[in-house]
Amino acid sequence: MRATVWSGRNTVQVENVPDPKILEERDAIVRISSTAICGSDLHLYDGYVPTMKRGDILGHEFMGEVVEVGRRVDNLKVGDRVVVPFPIACGDCWMCKHELWSLCENSNPNAGLAEKMFGHPTCGIFGYSHLTGGYAGGQAEYARVPFADVGPIKIEDDLDDEKVLFLSDIFPTGYMGAEFCDISGGESIAVFGAGPVGQFAIASAVLLGAEQVIAIDQYGYRLEMARNRAGATDVIDFSQDADIVEQLKVLTGGRGPDAVIDAVGLEAAHGHGALHAADRMKQASRSETDRGHALRDAILACRPGGIVSIIGVYGGLMDKFPTGALMNKGLTIRTGQCHVHRYLKPLYEHVREGRIDPSFVVTHRLGLDMAPDAYETFKHKQDECVKVVLKP
Amino acid sequence: MPMPRPIDSTLHGATDYSVGTLLMTAFPKLAGVEGTPAAKQIRAAGAIHASYSTLTDYPLGVVKVIPYKAHLAIDALGALALAATPFVTGQWKKGRSQWLPHVGLCLFELSSLLMSDPTQKGDFHGDVDAVRRANMEDPGRKIHSGPRAVQPAAA
Repeated sequence: MRATVWSGRNTVQVENVPDPKILEERDAIVRISSTAICGSDLHLYDGYVPTMKRGDILGHEFMGEVVEVGRRVDNLKVGDRVVVPFPIACGDCWMCKHELWSLCENSNPNAGLAEKMFGHPTCGIFGYSHLTGGYAGGQAEYARVPFADVGPIKIEDDLDDEKVLFLSDIFPTGYMGAEFCDISGGESIAVFGAGPVGQFAIASAVLLGAEQVIAIDQYGYRLEMARNRAGATDVIDFSQDADIVEQLKVLTGGRGPDAVIDAVGLEAAHGHGALHAADRMKQASRSETDRGHALRDAILACRPGGIVSIIGVYGGLMDKFPTGALMNKGLTIRTGQCHVHRYLKPLYEHVREGRIDPSFVVTHRLGLDMAPDAYETFKHKQDECVKVVLKP
Repeated sequence: MPMPRPIDSTLHGATDYSVGTLLMTAFPKLAGVEGTPAAKQIRAAGAIHASYSTLTDYPLGVVKVIPYKAHLAIDALGALALAATPFVTGQWKKGRSQWLPHVGLCLFELSSLLMSDPTQKGDFHGDVDAVRRANMEDPGRKIHSGPRAVQPAAA
């Protein structure tokens, strides 16, 4: 089959690789109809996530048709159309039983590596380094889906792929970020990052009843999408004015947003030259893993007693983390890799009922063979690229 | 095939500050010119370089008043001026140590410029025209003219 493989920093290739096979009784094989490039794939592409190996198949957002099932998969059959959540979860462990699916204790065969870095293992993830299990990803013609009796959701109507594909990751991730903010109606929410996850965090905050949703980014076209399509009420373009904290105060009557969502993660860009220079050089020399401009500003901007919701991906260690502001303002931090399984059915229902059309983020729909150019276009924000869907 | 230019504006900025600092501090001693006019010239070059870097419109600039392409042009002129200095002052006659560091730094700067991407697109090596041709979506329509994709809770 054809698959997008990691071939070193800033290089992916579409190559012929062996077809996947059923290895365990709870596996299924899916013929992929649509797959997407995620912003977090760029952390792999840029070489910031350790334990990648040449030839690893990328991709953790995918859907398609079941073509083979293992003996113990009794909820799916050949021909079913499914969306596959990016965390791989067994459904049996303490974490899964408590709906903490992305913390599954059984799905990561390289748990020892994660334990060394994080103190505890994390779940397996498709196409996301050997730290998360070394599973082959879904930017390919076929994928093996472990624990297929637990993860995939069946799509039983004729909704377009682009309307349901993002149930695999970015819609639930954005939604979880908004849900962390305890929105009950009337709140002011600031969202750092108007990339695909940020767009869904904005849309989810609107869906949940926030009164004011402020999108923050440095790319005008992304801010325009946030305002036109996702429902942001205000936007901050920090390429024009780098003092985000002050601008948020101005927009919120001097108090600051009730909650702030960090949808940026470890490769944050920023206008503050000296701080950015220090972080960029430390990250390039691998003496810190995470550039923290967005999270620092999120903590400084959030109103006292507010909530900081972190859904952007961080990998290791960050310098100059403002613990003083965090403690003295009495902030609550909520974070985590998304427990996608928890959100599949309710969000699918939102899509079916027409309350949200997730396809709004798709700016590029390309054949799988275009993956190398698509990664470059997405990474460098060329051609007003927000989200790339690949069709194997 | 166009020449690859892998140095993006951020990496160029990081080099500006680190090389500028090195020239102002340890370089003259390492080059064996401490206490001579050459040391003063090299320190001045480092200080000037770091100073206009802080004023450049690139990610590591502090007050972004100098366009990036103008910065690159100043780099080139500065490098040539540094290389010419020992020959203008006549200090080249005092030995190789009085002109070789200047010329070496000039060559380093010019080669760094040759590898720097003036478009600020960084190390972009994709074919965006091919992507545009193959794209089955219209980004402009999706971003600028589509309807709101979400219903507020109260609706």
